[in-house]
Amino acid sequence: MPLLEVENLTKRFGGLIAVNNVSFNVDEGEILGIIGPNGAGKTTLFNLITGYIKPDFGKVIFKGEDITGQPPNKIANKGLVRTFQIVRPFRHLPTIANVLVPLNSPRGRKRIEWVKTPERKAMDMLEDVGLSDLMLEPAENLSHGDLKRLEMARAMALEPELLLLDEPFGGLNPVETEYMIKTIQRLHLDGHTMVIVEHKLHALMKLVKRVIVMHYGEIIAEGTPEEIAKNKKVIGVYLGRAI
Amino acid sequence: MPFNNALKYIKRLYTEFMVRIYDNPPKIFGFLGFIILSTLPFMMETSVLRIFTTANILAIYALSWDLLVGRTGQISLGHALFYGAGAYGSALLYKYLQWPAWLTVPISIILCAMIAIVIGIPALRVKGPYLALLTFSFPLAFEGFTHYYSDIFGGDTGIRPIPKFYSGLGYSQVLIANYYFALILMAISAIIIYKIATSTTGITFISILDDELASKACGINVTKYKLMSFMLSGMFGGLAGAVYAHLIEGRVDPHFISTTLSIFPIIVTVIGGLGSLYGPIIGTYIYNLLDQYVFISIIPLDPSVRIVVYVAIVVFLIIKWPRGIARVIVEKLEDLQEPREIEEILKGKKEKLVKTHASA
Repeated sequence: MPLLEVENLTKRFGGLIAVNNVSFNVDEGEILGIIGPNGAGKTTLFNLITGYIKPDFGKVIFKGEDITGQPPNKIANKGLVRTFQIVRPFRHLPTIANVLVPLNSPRGRKRIEWVKTPERKAMDMLEDVGLSDLMLEPAENLSHGDLKRLEMARAMALEPELLLLDEPFGGLNPVETEYMIKTIQRLHLDGHTMVIVEHKLHALMKLVKRVIVMHYGEIIAEGTPEEIAKNKKVIGVYLGRAI
Repeated sequence: MPFNNALKYIKRLYTEFMVRIYDNPPKIFGFLGFIILSTLPFMMETSVLRIFTTANILAIYALSWDLLVGRTGQISLGHALFYGAGAYGSALLYKYLQWPAWLTVPISIILCAMIAIVIGIPALRVKGPYLALLTFSFPLAFEGFTHYYSDIFGGDTGIRPIPKFYSGLGYSQVLIANYYFALILMAISAIIIYKIATSTTGITFISILDDELASKACGINVTKYKLMSFMLSGMFGGLAGAVYAHLIEGRVDPHFISTTLSIFPIIVTVIGGLGSLYGPIIGTYIYNLLDQYVFISIIPLDPSVRIVVYVAIVVFLIIKWPRGIARVIVEKLEDLQEPREIEEILKGKKEKLVKTHASA
């Protein structure tokens, strides 16, 4: 049984069909990439899966349970955790306190072993993404690259069973991108299942075995990175040639 | 020895963490402040003492407002609802059941918590200016009730007299007893609010203030925490109202739910500093000293003119020191301390560098 099943998901905003009849599965332990030009409906798809927007039609099934239309916090507590494309730190809180927030959720509290305090666990989470030097710095003083990593640490604090990463490389310089790739690879080796939406194809293709291509809210291609790179439809979409 | 050093390091990190988490200045300031305030009856005349007694109770009220608005970001323009509900609840319990103040005050605090939950469940679904408008309407409705059901609430006269907490003391003794009662109650409330604010619950409150969507993504039940802060805030607001009625006024009337009282915490908290512990307290002291001493004895001003002065002060502070007077003072004090630390750290690093060079 796949970990996540998305069935015929559809969402309209007025006359615009943002996501049109999208179906796919995510198996346990895999990294799935979702690519597509701007406005293809990738972020809307994430919002639909994680409960931020209610779909007009279709189902989201996580671990065999229908979670369509449930509130975001409930879905996060089930182990389906997302990050945001535009970083959303808690600016007034120090970096470490940012990670204490997910640890205060029902799922987070359950995952703190009795020997550890939430602060200790938050420190561990920050060390995993290389932010332990900045842990007392208010989040508003962090650079964009650090905030992207903080976003990652915050999601990992919930110990997700499925992690949805919305453009984890967005706005990162080559060095930071390389670091983020390594972090994601390490998480993958630990057995984490992930779905990554990304523009930077170069970085993404290093990570994934299976890619879905979206265009105008629909899935136009699916396959290994090599197949996708040769797919004429995909090349047409990205380079603007006639299909 | 390395173990000891590690322990010291962790300890320092932890204290630094606790200090910075809310920009709260070290506890020593609070302690010193309490000592100075508790020697006040021996140094000051009675009129000043009376000002500080009311200021201490109103500081609880300002703290309660700040717990909701400064920490969770849910703007309430009608906090007098809780202040009035606490006072009226306690007075009504005396009027119909003749219970003593020691019993009616705690019960009216619980009543305020229930009111907060009943109002909060629908009201906290709206955000920002809409919530502000909605909360603004509640005390107005309550004031209407006090006139409409004047046989219960007593209309404009209110309910009077209501009993004091203690009896059988002389005039000057009562004054001093009231002063200490208010001071200790304020200190206890401030400590409780400080504990709440620095707990994980307090951190979650701030996460809702900063970014509600991200808080949801962290698995936080935002509605539950908003309701919790609304309830806690209502309880402390009710406590302040009930104690003010019993301790100082000896009666309850519609002044306890007036719009002035709803606006009061906004002025005070902006003066002192939003989202801090000392801010509302210092702000209340400044406001009360201005309102009851400076603008009466030194520069006599009509109450209707005073509000213009307060608004001018608030506007000036928002432009000049948006984080409030209390934080500015604390930052100045921290600045005195910090350069030395940085120098020491740099020195340590230099020594390390020299050592590594030497070994290489």
